[in-house]
Amino acid sequence: MLYQATHTTLYTYDQPVSHCLSEARLTPRALPRQRVLRTRIDVHPEPAVFDQRQDYFGNQVSAFSVFRAHDRLTATGTSIVEVLPWQQPVFPAIAWEQAQQALSAHLDADLMAAYEFVFDSPFVAASAGLAEYARPSFGAGRNLAEAVQELSHRIHEEFRYKPKSTSIEVPLHDVLRRREGVCQDFAHVMIGALRSWHLAARYVSGYLRSGADVTGAEASHAWVSVLIPGYGWLDLDPTNDMIPSDGHITVAWGRDYGDVTPVKGITLGGGGQKVDVEVRVTPVTAE
Amino acid sequence: MEKLSTSETAIPKSPQWRYQAPSAYWDEAVRPSGMPRHHWRKLAVAVGRMGAEELTRRWQAGQHLIQAHGITYNVYGDSQGMERPWSLDPIPLVIDGAEWAQLERAISQRATLLNQVLADLYGGQQLIQRRQFPAALLFASPHFLRPCYGVQPPGGVFLHSYAADLARSEDGQWWVISDRTQAPSGIGYALENRLVSARTLPSAFDQCHVRPLNRFLDQTREALLHLAPNRRTNPRVVLLTAGPNNETYFEQSFLARHWGFPLVEGADLTVRDHRVFLKTLSGLEPVDMVLRRMDDAFCDPLELRGDSLLGVPGFTQAVRCGHVAVANALGTGLMETSAHMAFLRGLCKHVLGEDLQLPSVATWWCGDEGPRRYVIEHLEELVIKPAFPQPGKNPLFPSFMDAAARQDLIRRIQADPEQFVAQEQVALSTAPVRTAEGITPRHIVMRIFATWDGHSYNVMPGGLTRVSKEASSPVVSMQMGGGSKDTWVLGSAGEEAPAAALTAIKISRAAGNSPPRVELPSRVADHLFWLGRYSERVESGVRLVRALLPGLSSEEDFGQTVSLESALQLLSGLGYLPEDFAPSSIAQKRWQLNQVLSAMISDPSRGSSIGRNLQNLRRVAWPLKERLSQDTWRVVQQLDRDFSIAPSLRGELRLTAQMSLLDRVVVVLSAFSGLLGENTTRSHGWRFLEIGRRLERCWQTADLLLAALVHGPFDIEPAATALLSIADSSITYRARYFTEFRTEYVLEALLADESNPRSIGFQLASLVEHMSGLPGYHPTAFHPTAFQATAFQATAFEGTAFTAPPDPTEADAPLPLRLAERILGDLRRSSMDDLAERDAQGNLAVLESFLRRLEGSLHDLSELLTAHHFNHLMVARMSAVP
Repeated sequence: MLYQATHTTLYTYDQPVSHCLSEARLTPRALPRQRVLRTRIDVHPEPAVFDQRQDYFGNQVSAFSVFRAHDRLTATGTSIVEVLPWQQPVFPAIAWEQAQQALSAHLDADLMAAYEFVFDSPFVAASAGLAEYARPSFGAGRNLAEAVQELSHRIHEEFRYKPKSTSIEVPLHDVLRRREGVCQDFAHVMIGALRSWHLAARYVSGYLRSGADVTGAEASHAWVSVLIPGYGWLDLDPTNDMIPSDGHITVAWGRDYGDVTPVKGITLGGGGQKVDVEVRVTPVTAE
Repeated sequence: MEKLSTSETAIPKSPQWRYQAPSAYWDEAVRPSGMPRHHWRKLAVAVGRMGAEELTRRWQAGQHLIQAHGITYNVYGDSQGMERPWSLDPIPLVIDGAEWAQLERAISQRATLLNQVLADLYGGQQLIQRRQFPAALLFASPHFLRPCYGVQPPGGVFLHSYAADLARSEDGQWWVISDRTQAPSGIGYALENRLVSARTLPSAFDQCHVRPLNRFLDQTREALLHLAPNRRTNPRVVLLTAGPNNETYFEQSFLARHWGFPLVEGADLTVRDHRVFLKTLSGLEPVDMVLRRMDDAFCDPLELRGDSLLGVPGFTQAVRCGHVAVANALGTGLMETSAHMAFLRGLCKHVLGEDLQLPSVATWWCGDEGPRRYVIEHLEELVIKPAFPQPGKNPLFPSFMDAAARQDLIRRIQADPEQFVAQEQVALSTAPVRTAEGITPRHIVMRIFATWDGHSYNVMPGGLTRVSKEASSPVVSMQMGGGSKDTWVLGSAGEEAPAAALTAIKISRAAGNSPPRVELPSRVADHLFWLGRYSERVESGVRLVRALLPGLSSEEDFGQTVSLESALQLLSGLGYLPEDFAPSSIAQKRWQLNQVLSAMISDPSRGSSIGRNLQNLRRVAWPLKERLSQDTWRVVQQLDRDFSIAPSLRGELRLTAQMSLLDRVVVVLSAFSGLLGENTTRSHGWRFLEIGRRLERCWQTADLLLAALVHGPFDIEPAATALLSIADSSITYRARYFTEFRTEYVLEALLADESNPRSIGFQLASLVEHMSGLPGYHPTAFHPTAFQATAFQATAFEGTAFTAPPDPTEADAPLPLRLAERILGDLRRSSMDDLAERDAQGNLAVLESFLRRLEGSLHDLSELLTAHHFNHLMVARMSAVP
């Protein structure tokens, strides 16, 4: 599928901001199933400094500074992306315990790289509560791919999707207790549960093709990627109870939301602020 | 081996050196036999000859010197004046030269090793691939700063400075018990200790040929300058502090002064186009090197720690681009885990191809299975520590736990093994310490410092020795109230003349290498402005209370003194009396006056009370500490102390006590003003102080004129008497107008007369003069469209430059100055006769509207100054959304 994805973040301030320094992660990644044909970032007012770099996780970062007094700031990422469908593989017959051991031994480069995602990160720490929540899916000797799909399915069934019910300040254990949240909470719960079983899981931010059949397309979306030794990273979207295919556009990944925040920054001045986000993903036909 | 000599037997006979060390520990000074060790003998003889009384006297003199130098240490969680005077024992720790040479080599080796390990972990990570350093220890560490991965500091120097805490076990072996790799503190305290100890025991100091410290500090400074990128001939280095509440703020300001680097907070710096600038009154000044005394995670709120706004947004990117260097490099906190100690021996072999010369205290990291099993089996013999130190996570001593608590700890270790480290407890050695009970043994820990000198790590020939508070306590911590010792490393007679070394510290302080330009950060100008305002508020408050006091004792109006009636009149005009106040008897009036005056002195709920203004004065003086002379700072402390012991007496007695307090305050305050005037260089900073003071006095005088004349009685004599007395202008007035009281005369004296230092005219003229001396604005300064071209001459004042960009067509004078000139012009054009005109109702309506307009203009002037010169914009975080 070929898409145009547009992600606009608008900040409106009560008082003028004299300058701001910002970082945006709005450029989709190039991946085996994903080709980025065109991509650009537009910032208004015009930034005095704008540059791009790759972060520790290989995501494209656009760093910009605006030195002009402003009471509105927009950052828009626009990309034309081609995504190929995910092909159902025959998963390796690996039990979750074996995966755990393989990670802790981290004998090859892939396992070493994945091992980093076993450990706590600022927003997602393993806990007894999360381990307990995941326990029913981790029977002794159970196939890992099966176990993680079931965990994703259970989060979808047992948690209520409630837009604007949380902000990033709500701690994970509260999300777990209340059993409600938005896509990023679902992803954090699942990552935390997997880490509590010493498995490697990372947070993926991206976009979802709009449609009546999916939840979370109006803003940027988040899902989970789990390492299946012998296969690679398997994406799972607990919000929609599905394995992402050609309806998901991957923008960035990291240990949790904090590593891949689409737009963040520091302002001088500004007082109160309001943020509006709009994401549009529309299929386009090849020229 | 130490040899017995004839002189050794002589010492114990000296009755004062009665020192007995417990045999369970190694004692630094004496051998198990009780005989002083060879390298302690000269000191023991000197102390022995001196006697306990003399030692105490010298110790007191030393403590006095410490107070005079303002050496303090901030204790967290101590709200009552956080500052504690530094505590220094008069008996130094003596280390033999040969033993020191070994320690020196070992510490230099360790610094080299830790630097290489950091370079690898933030670079190629070969040590992880080869399993010399556990991947889990890196990945689980909150101190592994991923944004800093791949950033290579100039010359590959991650650790510019390094410190190690050493302890000696009962067999005489030194062990490293912790590594300080972020922003090691203590060098400044060690230097101050040396200054004091060399004066406390001068002859022993000479005889021992103690190795001097000053050259190490000079070398450290030189090496820092060499690490600055771009190889500018005169790189600008700043010392970044977390602020005056930081525990070692004293040392930070001491070192900044010693090295001639501006001491700055995060808000003093700004990043433009990936370069770091210091915001000064005269514009943005480029910074080449940041010597940080702030934890790395706090240095950049944009890329590093997301929950703090302390640091400099964009700093990491500036470092990444190589336009600015930072020492120590961002991310070096990674080596402050105690867990890495379990791997250093192997790392040393692997990285340096050498044996580790100085062992670390035995350490087990529970992230590895074998060590974890050992720890759980030997729990009671070990100290359990968090693998990644964080505030609030303290060491645990399982030997003091009950069985249930131990089981719980084991469960926690098994659930989160990477988070735990176990260490053997070192039985710390003891050293003689002077106490009230005589010379007694205390446990010690010695901190040794090393800095990169361009080729290798250079070790300071001395150290900071810390002493446990109690003889039985094995915990050594300045936070816990322990003391410190100077550390004497013995040299040979020919090496360096110690006397010269001692004075050399002062010389290098004064001369430096090149006289550094120290610009005034705009934040500091702001504090100085308010210091001027608060000190004037205190002074005018004191003057008012003192002038009205005679009203309490005299029923009649005796000549020039202020009557009860006029005192109450004036207070009512100033808004100090309740609206419905209608006293009938003199007793009631007197009671009321007593009440109001008491409240004006120390009522904490009253925003304008003298006590409150003193608190404010101290609050703004505190961040200026390193800029005020030591004497001035002592005066601020004295004022604060006087008022914190508020008299709790009632009634008349209470007021009497308060009066004597006020008398003291007046004396101290004039000392304060004098010191500020005498000891502050006539810089921009001093001008801001004066501007604050003049502005405030103008305001206070206008208020008084309103209260006494406009709201006063028709017969102005009593009010005018009070007014002139408060304004200290009675003599001037009488010399000119004798005893005739007329409104226009009073106005002439207190409003128009620019030669009377208490008049409004004088204040306004001074304001204009000081403001003309402030740095002006370049017409091309910070215009957004001109930014690319003129970015580096930009002015510092981000907020206002945008809202009111300087217009080249406008008059050259900046706005605040133009307003001040306008106010002064208005006054000069006014006729006092016109102002003294009464309307049909007998009211001074013209004067009232003039004074109200003046107060309005003063308010505008203050706002304009603030907006023009000080950066008051709040730093905020843009909210993040899913």
